[in-house]
Parts: sequence; C-alpha cells; structure tokens
Amino acid sequence: MKKFMLFFVILLVSFMAFATEFEIVDEMLTPEKPNMGGTLYLSVSSSPQSFNFYGTLDGVSYTIAGNFLNSLVELHPVTNAIQPGLAKSWEVSADNKVVTIHLRDVKWSDGKPFTADDVIFTFDNFVMNKFAEGNSIARFTINGELVKFEKVDDHTLKAYLPAPYGPFFMVMSHASIYPKHILESQIDTKDPGSVNKLWTTNTPLNQIVGTGPFVLENYVVDQKVVLKRNPYYWKKDKLGNTLPYFDKLEYLVIKDTQVLNAKFMAGDVDYMSVSAADFPMLKQMELDGSKFTIFMAQPTRPTPSPVHITFNFDAKNPELAQLFSNKNFRMAMEYSLNRERVIEEVYNTLAVLGGVPVLPANTAFYNPAIEDIRREYNPEMAMSILDAIGLVDRNGDGWRDFENGNTIEFVLLTSTGQTDQDIAYIFSEEAKGIGIKCELQIVDGSLRSQKALSGDFEACLWAFGNQPDPQLRKAIWSPGYSLYYCHFSTMNPETKEPYADLRNMYDWEKQVHYAFEIGQTAMDPQERKVQYGIWQEIYAEYIPFIYVCKGMDLMGASNSLGNFYQLDNGSLAYAVYTLFRK
Amino acid sequence: MVSFIIRRILIMIPMMLVISFICFFLIELQPGDFVSQYLENPRISPEQIDYIKANLGLDKTPMERYGMWMKGIITEGDFGYSFAFKRPVTDLIWERMGWTIGIALVTILFQWLIAVPLGIYSALHPYRSGDYLLTFIAFIGISIPEFFLALILMFATGTSGGLFSPQYIGAPFSLAKMVDLAQHVWLPIVVIGISGLAGLMRVMRGNMLDTLGSPFVNSLRARGLPEKWVKRHVIKNALNPMVSIAGMELPNIFSGTVITAIVLNLPTMGPFFYTALMNHDQYLVMTFLMFIALITQIGNLIADVLLAVLDPRIRMS
Repeated sequence: MKKFMLFFVILLVSFMAFATEFEIVDEMLTPEKPNMGGTLYLSVSSSPQSFNFYGTLDGVSYTIAGNFLNSLVELHPVTNAIQPGLAKSWEVSADNKVVTIHLRDVKWSDGKPFTADDVIFTFDNFVMNKFAEGNSIARFTINGELVKFEKVDDHTLKAYLPAPYGPFFMVMSHASIYPKHILESQIDTKDPGSVNKLWTTNTPLNQIVGTGPFVLENYVVDQKVVLKRNPYYWKKDKLGNTLPYFDKLEYLVIKDTQVLNAKFMAGDVDYMSVSAADFPMLKQMELDGSKFTIFMAQPTRPTPSPVHITFNFDAKNPELAQLFSNKNFRMAMEYSLNRERVIEEVYNTLAVLGGVPVLPANTAFYNPAIEDIRREYNPEMAMSILDAIGLVDRNGDGWRDFENGNTIEFVLLTSTGQTDQDIAYIFSEEAKGIGIKCELQIVDGSLRSQKALSGDFEACLWAFGNQPDPQLRKAIWSPGYSLYYCHFSTMNPETKEPYADLRNMYDWEKQVHYAFEIGQTAMDPQERKVQYGIWQEIYAEYIPFIYVCKGMDLMGASNSLGNFYQLDNGSLAYAVYTLFRK
Repeated sequence: MVSFIIRRILIMIPMMLVISFICFFLIELQPGDFVSQYLENPRISPEQIDYIKANLGLDKTPMERYGMWMKGIITEGDFGYSFAFKRPVTDLIWERMGWTIGIALVTILFQWLIAVPLGIYSALHPYRSGDYLLTFIAFIGISIPEFFLALILMFATGTSGGLFSPQYIGAPFSLAKMVDLAQHVWLPIVVIGISGLAGLMRVMRGNMLDTLGSPFVNSLRARGLPEKWVKRHVIKNALNPMVSIAGMELPNIFSGTVITAIVLNLPTMGPFFYTALMNHDQYLVMTFLMFIALITQIGNLIADVLLAVLDPRIRMS
C-alpha cells in the first residue's frame, strides 16, 4: 500500500510539474518526419538595438524578440488567421464589449508559472504606457478610452472594451507578454519612461526570460545573436514531439546584401529574402545544381508595402491643388502609368499588380471588384480625358497648359531608394508622353517623410501602410487622420483627427471615413470585410493613391531544411519552430 | 621638451571645444532628426512622436542641447545616451573597440613591414625592371577602390567576409578558432592595407631617392665608408618623414574605411558610426567624432615627439 501511495504521489507531482497545456501546431507546418537537434542559421541586417520589445522601434530587435516572447493570440505563420497563443480560448459577451480570456497553463523559460498577473503587468507598464517607446496605446484606445483588463483568477482575465472593436484580436496578436516576476522590481515607479532602459543589449541574458520557442543564450556584439531551445515551450507537433526541433537558432549580423548572398551560397545562412535583382543569378545557380532552392511566391507578406503615387489636394500652388482634386486628371494619370513596364524593368518581372493596397492573398479583406475598376495603361485614353477637361497644348511647345496659358508641371517627390527612383523615372517619362511635365525631386528617405508629412510637396511616390488588418492603418488611409497626406485639410490640426462636421471632405472621402468607423466597431468578420471592401472600391474609383505594383515574395532556402515548402496556392509554408535539418 | 608637450596638451582643450561646436552644428544641418524615421509609422501617433522628442530632449533648441551635452561631459564625464540603444554612448563605443584596434594595428604592421623594404629596394634599383614592376603594382593598389578589391577577392577565393565561420563566433578560445580566424582575417588586412601599403612604398622610395642624392651621401662615399653603412645612413634619414605619416595613421585605426568594413562584414567602429549617422543618433555620432579628433591630435603630438627623439636637428631647433 505504501509503495502504491508513493507511486501515486510521484505521479501526481510529475503531473503537476509538467502541467503545460500544449498546443498541437497546424499539420500544414509539419508535413515531414522531423529530426531533432542542430542549429538553424539566419541573418539580420544590423545589430539589435535592444532586447526590449517595447523599448525600441527597431525591426531587428522585433525579429529577435519574436523568438522568445509570445502574445495571447497569434497569427498563423502562413494564413495570418487568428489562433490561440498564450490564451488557449476566449469568449466574447453578447454586447461585444467584454472578452473573457482563458490562459494556457505554461511556464516561463526560467520555470516560473505564467499567470494573469503577467498579462496585466505587461499591459499596464508596457503596451498601454505612453512613455514606452514601442507602446501600442493607440491600438488599445477605443473612442478615446483605454481597454481595461481585470484578473478573475490566475488563469482567467477579462478585457472590457469601451465599445465593440473589430480588430481587438489582431492588435492582441502584436502585444507580447512580459514576465512580472523578473521586471517588476526593475521599474522605477516614479519614472514610467524607465521601462525603455530595461533589457538593453548589455543585460545579462539569463535575466531575459520568455515563453517563446527559444531563449537568448549569447550575444556577440555586431556579429551574432544565439538563442537556445526553451525546454518549457508549449507547442507540439502531430507526433507529440515538443517544439522547436532545432536546439539552437543563430542570427548572423550581415549588413551587406552581397555578403548575405555569399554566406547563403556558402551554406552559412539557411534561408533569406532574395531581391528581384539577385533572383536570376541565384535561380540559375539552383538550376545548375546548388544546394538551395529559390522560391518565387505569391506575395502574402504585407510589407514591403506596394508603391503608390499620390497628388497633394492641398498643394501650395492653387492651380495644381485644383487640378489634383479633379478626379478626371487623376484618372488620366492612372491611364498613363505603365505598370507592365515597371514590373518588367524595375522588378525583373517579379511583381504583381497587387491591390489598393490590400493584397489578393489577404482573403479576409481583399475585394476583387477593384480589378475591374483599375485602369490599365492606355495613353490615348489619358490624352482624350485631358483634352476633354480642357487641358490642351495652347502654345505648341509640346506641353499641356492651363486655361491661363501656364504650363502644367509638377514635382514628384521620392526617395533615393533605387526602386523608387526607377519607378518615378518611368512615370515621369510616360507623363511626358501625354504632354504633362513631371520633374523629379529625389531626396533622402527621412527628408521625404518630413516633406510629405508636412504637406510640402506636389506629388509623391512612396511605399508604406500595408498590414493584414486595414484598421491598423486607419491613420494613413482614412481621411482626416495624421498620415492621410494627400489631403491634410480634412484633419483638424489640434486634435489630429477629422473635424466633427467632416469639413473639407469630398463625399467619397466621407464614405471612406464611415467605412473605417463601422469596420472598427464591427465584430463580425463578414461585416468588416464588406466595410473595408467599400473603402477599396472607392479608392480604386477615385484614386487618391495610384497603387503601382507589389514585388513577389522571393526567398532562398537551403535544401537541407525540412518543413520548408511552397503550397499549391503559391504561398510559402514554414515557421522557425517547425523547421529541422534533414 | 616637457614644456613643449604640456603646451601642446593645453592647446588641445580649446581645439576640442571648437571642434565639438563645429561638429555639433554640422550634424544639425543634416535634414531630419532621430524621430524622422518614425514619422511614416502609423503605429506611432503624432502625440507619441512629441513624447519621444521630449524624452530625448529633441524639443529643445540646438544651442540648449549642445550646452546640456557639454555640461554633462565637463561636470560628470557623461557623454550622453544613444537614442537608439538606450545606453551610454561610451559603453557602445568601448564594446566595438577591441576588434577595431586589433584589425587596424595588424593592418598597419602589414603595411609597414612590406612597404618600407619594398620602397628601399625600389629606390636602390631605380628605373630597372623590379622598380617598374613594383611601381606598376603600387599604382594599381592606390587606384583600385578598396570595397571593389574586397568583392573581387571574396569572389576569387570563395570567402564570404566576417572574421570567423559562424560556429566560431562567440566560441571559447581554441586552436581551431585561431586557425579559422587566420583563414578569414587575411582578407580585411590585405584589402584595407593595400592602398596604404602602395602609398607608403612610393613615399619611402621618393624619400630614399632624395636622400641618396644629398651631398652628405657623396661625402660619406668620398670618405670611403662601405656601401652597406652608407645605405644605413640613407635609410635612417629617409625614415624621418615616415614618422609624421605614422602619426596621421592613428585616427584611421578607429574610423577606418566604412564601406569596406560593411562589405567585409567586420564588427568594427566604421559601420557602427555610419549607422548612427544615418539614424541621427546625435550623441553617439558626436562622441565618436570627438574621439577621432582627440586621437588625431594625440597622433600628431606623438609623431612630433618621436621626430624630435629621432632627429637631433629638430631637437636642437
């Protein structure tokens, strides 16, 4: 009996010790029979500026932190669908204003239990702390009020939304949870900005704990970041193997793309993004028998954003402001844009038309109706529209003129980035063909931001603002907000929001405004798709922004990697925690 | 001599102040500031941009910021925080100093050990095939852009930059690691060293030819001194101007060749400085520039002192 009791106690203790509630990953990510162990070598383009996800706005830091931190809900690595993360399930109340979240029973990488206190600590001190440099306070502010979190018990909490909020789970997927037991004592309560100085790059790495597949092991300044397997990770494959398969993950710091290519060819880097310029050379090497595969995939990643061209409705020159506000002029300019030439000459044929700007691969929001509205290259049509609105060459110099005889000419602002310059040049050439004088102003990227966002431009070629959920980019695409830079007079400069009476907005801009407002509060995905579909159709019709094209997702991967493949629909399927060495 | 050194050191103080003022306002002329890179990010509201600016002190006038920065240096020895890294700039510079000095010193050694003998050989065999060959190679060395030479050598030898193979980065010291380092480090040494080497060789040759034509050499020969001893005197005299060049080389140790270091993927100060400059990480850039200015002055001082030690004529004057 004693022996039986002892066995029972041991069984109970072991059960409690390993009480992690595992998530079985989608079979799509683990089609092959895996090998365990080894090191996965990847690259980053610079040293991380910090290991603190909320203390920086550095993309490399985010890449590294994504391996040791988790959020309550996650985006599927291939489909971008919302799926359980540290929250194993949730319920939404009938009025769509209370979300009850059930947390997974998991441990931090130092063996301490993860609880609701960690979640509330993270939201209070980091996510909704306006002094944290990488905070997300704007995303958790609805109608001017913050979302409130309340602990029910160690593994349950409630989120109270001031109003129904459609993208709630999407914004939750971007909020990584921090360990309260490690960080609470390090925060200076009198200085909320002190959170930015936590987990800097000189922090002893054993003090940085997480719930992700890997934990930090070593950082060699400007050379590499080493992560090791987190023994407490909470995902398994369909065979019951605890993930990740690799024992280590190493990021080599490689600043130059040619060096990255060389390292990839030498087998020092396992996979990488490939530029359109390097694609032919690397693809040829693959065909000649190199030990890697170069993939040309339908774009599924929202970034880099598709390039757009826009005209300043509030241009300082009143003649130009009036011209740019004329839909027929914008339509003519879209007809004059030779997208096929851009795709061929700038992107080496490795681009697709994309959306406005939602990608066709984004099935949750894409509206295919825009394909019928989008105007294809037709210079004759462009010229006849310009003739019809009275913009003709009045003095025989080859350039069209305003009624008062002034030549129609404007300056297209863009950056020194090669792609931007090349597209701008092609656009100006085609404009010349229809008698419109377009001069280029090519400046440093940060200067372009400054000029464009202060309204100091006539026309601008830029690429920003794509995300899986359009709500996250409301500030850019909804009239009246701080980044809707083609028509700043729709914004109240004091509140940085639209005027209450929506003054200075065209009717179609008001419709876009309403679509975004309804899309924000609708919880039903179908309703949201309808609203953002309206926005896309209006944009396609009224073209405040002419979207040029979107580069394809080009990747190179070592043939020795398992569970890295291309789906039938052209997308790539892989996740860091399901890759293995064959 | 001691008063000379003290005087020179005292002159450095106002000099550094002037340099800091010029550098600060030159950097101010660069369009935009640290937060400009975030303007287009919809995640960051205009309100937050203002918070970040206020936090970093970017809402103050350039004069106020310069005053605060100088005050921090003078009263607390605090050179400021990096906007991007949230750490003291001196720590960040110090972290990268080891490899920067190591690679530069070996490179300089490589340049001098090869350039001086070749320059001597060239001068002692003027206008002969060996001299022409070395001159030809030297001109190629001077004219070829370093980053381009780096790419050619990387392509030709199948190496891909860096100082170690990935598995040895951060690994504990071992013989295998040293062998791996040797297999990688020759490339930056040759690439960075080649143009300086060629230049030094030409200077050494010119100095030697000048000295060989001096009356004192004729005098030595006339007195029947063996040619071996004559050459020794010539070399000693020809080396004097090289000491000044050595002083000028000191700042190069730290700033180095930025583009080449990026192409060769070196963990040195050059690329780090470049990124800081592009990001408008002002105090980091300023501290680095001040450091280079100080090193330049110290280099010149050391060269002057060494010249005085080596050459009695300077000492006497």
